[in-house]
Amino acid sequence: MAARVLLLISLLTGPAMFAWAIPRQAATVQEEAAISAASDSSKQARDQTPGAPQTDPNEKKDAKPQHKIHVRLGTVSLGLGYSYSSGPYYYPYSVFGFYPYGVAYPALFCDPFWCAYPSLLNPVYSSSLAYAEDKGQVKLTADPKTAEVYIDGGYAGTADQLKTMWLDSGAYDLSLSAKGRKAFHQRIYILSRKSLKVLARLEPEEEPDRAREKGVKP
Amino acid sequence: MNRKILQGLLWLAAASVIASGPRGTVPKASANRYPSHAEKGGVNVGAALLTSDEVRKTFVSEVNRCCLVVEVAFYPAKDKPQAVSLDDFSARVTGTETAVKPSSAKVVAASIQKSAESQRDITVSPSVGIGYESGPYGGHGTYKAAGVAVTVSEPGSHSGSSERDRDTMLTELSEKGLPEGMASAPVSGYLYFPLTKKKDTPLQLDCVLNGSKVSLTLP
Repeated sequence: MAARVLLLISLLTGPAMFAWAIPRQAATVQEEAAISAASDSSKQARDQTPGAPQTDPNEKKDAKPQHKIHVRLGTVSLGLGYSYSSGPYYYPYSVFGFYPYGVAYPALFCDPFWCAYPSLLNPVYSSSLAYAEDKGQVKLTADPKTAEVYIDGGYAGTADQLKTMWLDSGAYDLSLSAKGRKAFHQRIYILSRKSLKVLARLEPEEEPDRAREKGVKP
Repeated sequence: MNRKILQGLLWLAAASVIASGPRGTVPKASANRYPSHAEKGGVNVGAALLTSDEVRKTFVSEVNRCCLVVEVAFYPAKDKPQAVSLDDFSARVTGTETAVKPSSAKVVAASIQKSAESQRDITVSPSVGIGYESGPYGGHGTYKAAGVAVTVSEPGSHSGSSERDRDTMLTELSEKGLPEGMASAPVSGYLYFPLTKKKDTPLQLDCVLNGSKVSLTLP
């Protein structure tokens, strides 16, 4: 009489996000800009009206054409399920909220195949490094992973906690430090909805004795 | 007393330099490390035209949308500071008559933002589901589902289209641009020319060094 509903396999392969852009707009690995000597930039900010690039009309352009419409492949959802009902068909499903998935996926409150993605892809904004739509993403890879991360001089956490962080559009000084390693500094520029990969490899510091030996002239 | 005032002034100067951020790029060891180089009156100059891939890797801002990027390095003569100004440069695609001066960071940032504003993204999100059900009395069956969601972004939602992004691009382009002023040590940075060209066509860069014109051909 009593029926049992078993969900054996419910496999959600998402959120698998594939983003293709035509033309490609891959994450940019930027190089550190360094300080050089002369500095007066007042003329650089002189007023000019933005004009279209000048080009010879007969020439074939080197740069890829800039399409105004880009087509991207968004979230690809794949679902695989199996259900088994051992009881007669008139079993009152209302005990489980009339739909068997409701028992197995109480946190989702909907069909697991089609409704889970919004909650997974949009984490709740909880701090200044959390996701927001108008922020840019920093994907940080550091060696060692326990290095301390500083953004504009302020401690943000350790590298293993900050593999992915979201920052408002702007320019930042990113620094990493670890005991026995040379500090890593990089100027980073964050644009909204854009991803930036930063690879920070902190080289081991020279031992004081060896450094002293190097400094001594024969 | 005077010493304290002097110390204060030094601190102020140091603070202003730090606040203004880095300027330019790191010059290579010598001008002949650049693909094109020349010497005039003891001043060496080197230049390199960045490919679109190099531009993409060097800048977060999508400079490829509007400009060709040239890295220029100056090596002033010893004890003879060299004036560096964007007005001293011009470029033209070999075989054409039109020469242009480099655009300021402000103009380039505005141009990129304008281009990004008009761009729209179409996102296609397919979904596929397949399952198997079984029950008593030999009842069983499969179910399949498929769907495609298409979303079209609103104008202005693309990266680089907001005012804040424009400020960020301006900062990046300014900080990486060739610093202007008197240079007593080697100095280098990028110039942004509002030009397009064929892949194999060289670019001719002209600059004025101590009143004399120097031409560099950039492959």
